[in-house]
Amino acid sequence: MHFYQDPQFGERMITLMAALVLVLQIAMVAQRWLVTNIRVFAAQSFLLAGIATTIAYFNNAPHIYFVAVLTIVVKVIFLPVLMERLVVKIELRQEIKPLINVPLSVLISGALTILGYVVAESFYHPEAGTTPATLGHNTLAVAIALFLIGFFMMLNRRKALTQVIALLSLENGLFLAAISLTYGMPLVVELGVFFDLLVASMVLGILVYRIRETFDSVDVSKLRRLRG
Amino acid sequence: MIATVVSIALQLSLVLLLSPLVSGIIKTLKARLQTRRGPGILQPYRELHKLLRKGMVIPESASWIFSAAPIVVFSTAALVSLMIPMISAAAPLSLFGGVLAVVYLLGLGRFFLALGGLDTGTPFGGLGSSREMTISALAEPAMMLAIFTVALSANSTNLSEVAHSAIGQSWRFLAPSQVLAFAALFIVLIAETGRIPVDNPATHLELTMIHEAMILEYSGPYLALIEWGAWIKQLILMTLLINTFYPFGLSTDMGLLNLATGCASYLLKLLFLSALVVLVETTNAKIRLFRVPELLAVAFVLGALALISTFLF
Amino acid sequence: MNSFPTTGLFVGGLAAYALGSISGFLFRISPATARRAGCGFGLLGAVLQGISGLAALLGSSVEWSIPCAVPLFAYSFSLGAVSAYFTVALSLLAASVSIYSFGYLAGMEKGVESGRKLGLLTFFYNALLLSLSVVFTASNAFLFLIAWEMTSLAGYALVTFDHKSEESRSAGLLYLIMSHVEAGCLLLGFALIGQHAGSLDFHALRQAGGLLSPPQQACAFLLFFLGFGIKAGVIPVHIWLPAAHPVAPSNVSALLSGIVIKAGIYGMVRVFLEFLGVVPNWMGIAVIVVAVTSAILGVLYALMEHDLKRLLAYHSIENIGIILLGLGAAMMFQTAGYPRLAAFAVIACLFHTLNHAVFKCLLFLGAGSVLHSTHTKNMEELGGLNRRMPWTSLFFLVGAIAISGLPPLNGFVSEWLTYQSLLAGFGAEKGLVGLMFPIAGSLLALTGALAAACFVKAFGITFLALPRSPEAENAQEAPTTMLAGMGILAFACFALGIGASWFLPVFEGITRELVGVSARGDLTLAHGFVISSGTPHGGSVSTAVIALMLLALGAIPAWFLARRFAVRRVGPTWDCGLPGLGPENEYTATAFSKPLRMVFAALYKPRREIQTVFDVSPYFPKSIHFESEIEPTFENRIYKPVQAMVYWISLRMRAIQAGSIHAYLAYIFVTLVILLLFGVRP
Repeated sequence: MHFYQDPQFGERMITLMAALVLVLQIAMVAQRWLVTNIRVFAAQSFLLAGIATTIAYFNNAPHIYFVAVLTIVVKVIFLPVLMERLVVKIELRQEIKPLINVPLSVLISGALTILGYVVAESFYHPEAGTTPATLGHNTLAVAIALFLIGFFMMLNRRKALTQVIALLSLENGLFLAAISLTYGMPLVVELGVFFDLLVASMVLGILVYRIRETFDSVDVSKLRRLRG
Repeated sequence: MIATVVSIALQLSLVLLLSPLVSGIIKTLKARLQTRRGPGILQPYRELHKLLRKGMVIPESASWIFSAAPIVVFSTAALVSLMIPMISAAAPLSLFGGVLAVVYLLGLGRFFLALGGLDTGTPFGGLGSSREMTISALAEPAMMLAIFTVALSANSTNLSEVAHSAIGQSWRFLAPSQVLAFAALFIVLIAETGRIPVDNPATHLELTMIHEAMILEYSGPYLALIEWGAWIKQLILMTLLINTFYPFGLSTDMGLLNLATGCASYLLKLLFLSALVVLVETTNAKIRLFRVPELLAVAFVLGALALISTFLF
Repeated sequence: MNSFPTTGLFVGGLAAYALGSISGFLFRISPATARRAGCGFGLLGAVLQGISGLAALLGSSVEWSIPCAVPLFAYSFSLGAVSAYFTVALSLLAASVSIYSFGYLAGMEKGVESGRKLGLLTFFYNALLLSLSVVFTASNAFLFLIAWEMTSLAGYALVTFDHKSEESRSAGLLYLIMSHVEAGCLLLGFALIGQHAGSLDFHALRQAGGLLSPPQQACAFLLFFLGFGIKAGVIPVHIWLPAAHPVAPSNVSALLSGIVIKAGIYGMVRVFLEFLGVVPNWMGIAVIVVAVTSAILGVLYALMEHDLKRLLAYHSIENIGIILLGLGAAMMFQTAGYPRLAAFAVIACLFHTLNHAVFKCLLFLGAGSVLHSTHTKNMEELGGLNRRMPWTSLFFLVGAIAISGLPPLNGFVSEWLTYQSLLAGFGAEKGLVGLMFPIAGSLLALTGALAAACFVKAFGITFLALPRSPEAENAQEAPTTMLAGMGILAFACFALGIGASWFLPVFEGITRELVGVSARGDLTLAHGFVISSGTPHGGSVSTAVIALMLLALGAIPAWFLARRFAVRRVGPTWDCGLPGLGPENEYTATAFSKPLRMVFAALYKPRREIQTVFDVSPYFPKSIHFESEIEPTFENRIYKPVQAMVYWISLRMRAIQAGSIHAYLAYIFVTLVILLLFGVRP
């Protein structure tokens, strides 16, 4: 048996990539530059596509290949390009000023990861034998951590555009949970989610542009002025 | 007993000879990547030779601490190098000091070097000491977490035991805990050896230098000892990275063939890691001193994640 | 060892301390006699007690008791392994401090009222030693509490010894208030467990642990933790410690920080491991959390101090944290059913207790020598003492290396033991609790590295470079007796470090007394050369080999330099192009700690103020005024509100203060009647 047929190798690769996805999420928390943030997001999505491909390969689930390709097209190429152009357009290359300083938010992300593991642990009952594999349990922990950190990032950032990135990375967490636990939801659901995301990003993109036109800033904390 | 003495002598001479070479390789690779010719990989040997022959100037305000520091720096680094597996999984002095002794002995060297910096009374020395102690203090917890990850999966703090247990497990090097701990320790390596983006080993601009500021007053053989100590320390940290996480080819016995493969794979892995260091140094700019804690916080969280991963994956 | 007069020696030691006390009081007309008698009897008592302690520790334990007519009370003493261990630590410190004091106190013989001062000082000094040795050996809670209160009072008198200074008086007041709270907690705690045991004898209390209901056990734990915690100076009840320890005379500060706070550790070890029975896990976790907090915050506050003695006092808080890490781990292992691991953690805890006592005492004595010869403990005014006071400087350096936990000295060994027991905890406990141990270990690493940074500052700024004031410029080496006192402790740092693997078997009796197992066989390997972590491949270290190899590897370049490269020229130091390097452009302690002040700004909340006066051009300032301070977080956030509340309640209470004697008599009468009725009711 070649090593690429060894399921243990597949499992190792998946957990490794899941861990790297988590690392990239924390890197996003630590990163100040918008463009880098977008690229880190693209890399993260690429790794997710890799996880999907590996799952598809080792479990003979061809429809997941399709999901992987879709991920690459939408999240690795289309959305990042769109956002980078937006960045150029609204001339927002400067550093992001988070509400909580970087070292502390990185430490908070670490704590959220622990929380993710604790939650995932409570779902894990190996003796019951109903969960697909240990694989699901490990990546579920990472998925919950991604979700929590994404949420925290949305809270922590001021600029509307970074909140979009945070939202997208949060969705990556949901995606990871879906493919690792159920080996892919029905294709229709996946497609719907992708479509929703696309529309949401476009709307948010236009909104960001408008906010900038109106307020000369994309700082959402200034939106309070809208109150009557 | 005799075997121990022989292995001590062999490993010591290997370390003493190899450490300047690694530094030379890194310098040359870096120069090539920046399309410069570079000084050649033998330059550190020439520097050592030159410095050891020269006389030295002792600052008039210095006391005996100034003279003791280079010797302590050199001897602690040399001693630590005997505690980590390099070519064979059995390090000569592994029984007498595990990974905690390694960290704290390096700490002893740093303690004296920082005192040597303060001893001269120049503002530069104090500035360098203060920054060096700050950065190393912040790097320490990340380093310990990464090391604990390895020690806990091997159930031992003895580096030979760690290497032995790492050899026994297939695919272990792919485990997330190992990869994350490697990343954390790599950041620590960058910080501890004073490389970009934390410190710039090539600068002598007063506002940015850390290590160089501390040793500004040293000259001649003292400077040679300090430089040599720093190179050995760099080799130690690199060996720690490659041999505890990727122990491929480490010899488990004293057979000549195994030792030869061990030697070859060790040099190859060193080359890879040097290339990685060069890549990081070339593609990054030095960050501001007060941004260094952010980098080290990332290393700390990576270490913590690594630990959580051993616990669950 | 039946023939060995352990008891006699111990009582002789007590008598010597008592004589020292009385003679100090009697000879107050002649300062020199008072000094000699006080220090001499102190030394004699320490030697006698040290021998008896060692005999009890290595041989069999001794107990004796004199019954008394008062119910629940007896003059009962026990020199069990734990008591003997603490007695030996106390004696070692008392002996070296007494020798040191011969010289240190000689400086006080001149001046007004010197006799009265010296008489009082030696009186309270010996009283402190006397009461502390009773605290460590009492085996009756009443006797323990009485001795405890005597220690506190003697400590108060010594802290306020320099009663003319406002700083001493306010520090003394704070110390007294905290001591009262602490004594109250202990009284209630002993009352609670004593009620179940039916006796206040320690033997009976040992049986009482199983009888407590969980809420009572929790209550007792909290009372004892608060009470002993105040004495030990754990955060957040530490505030009295950095105020009180530095203002006492230096020889006394050395004792206060070296051994008196260890009475808190002694109490915790006794109560938590022996009297409370099987403790639930949360108590161990609470101890570890408090320990980590104390360790990190202690060292962070120490880093910002520029007063040498206050810096050392903050380091006591840090080290108490490290000691408690071992104790907390031991409690958890004991509950989880791993007595061997518990024994290992107890050894880590108690060995660090002894080590900290030795090097902290040494450092305070060193600071005392500096104070003695320069009359300042402000580091910004010192510098250059390495050349003027070479021996003091060398001893201080030994202490600094030891306290930073650097090999091969004793601090390293006990920190190594602590790390190993924390690593073992990862395997012993499941889930998140298991994860807590390595994280505590990494924070211990942070503490250690920060401590090293702090002692680079303390030693570097105080002893190295150029003097920053005329006092430092004209400093003289301390007298021989002072150096001898420090020398003993510096030697102990080396002996306990390099000889640790031969010293550790001493703990056999202690672990058997506290956790019921002996860890002797697992602890050392290879003919006692190597200290092992107890598990077959767990980890090992040998300070003896490390020391030997360091010497060998250091000798080669040293010999090389001495022989061949003798060309050493002494030249001027680089002065950055300014005319001459003077004290004004040296790095200061404030500057040294600046990066860490910035990094931990969230904790310190630093405030700074710079005022520059210009003459003509903005490039040539005439004078610059710089002021910087950090926020005392605990004082402002915890103690100020409590103080305000107490004040508010007191104002309300004033209503019942009528000022008439009849009203007061009426209060007493009413209380008496109520109490009588209360007693009749059942």
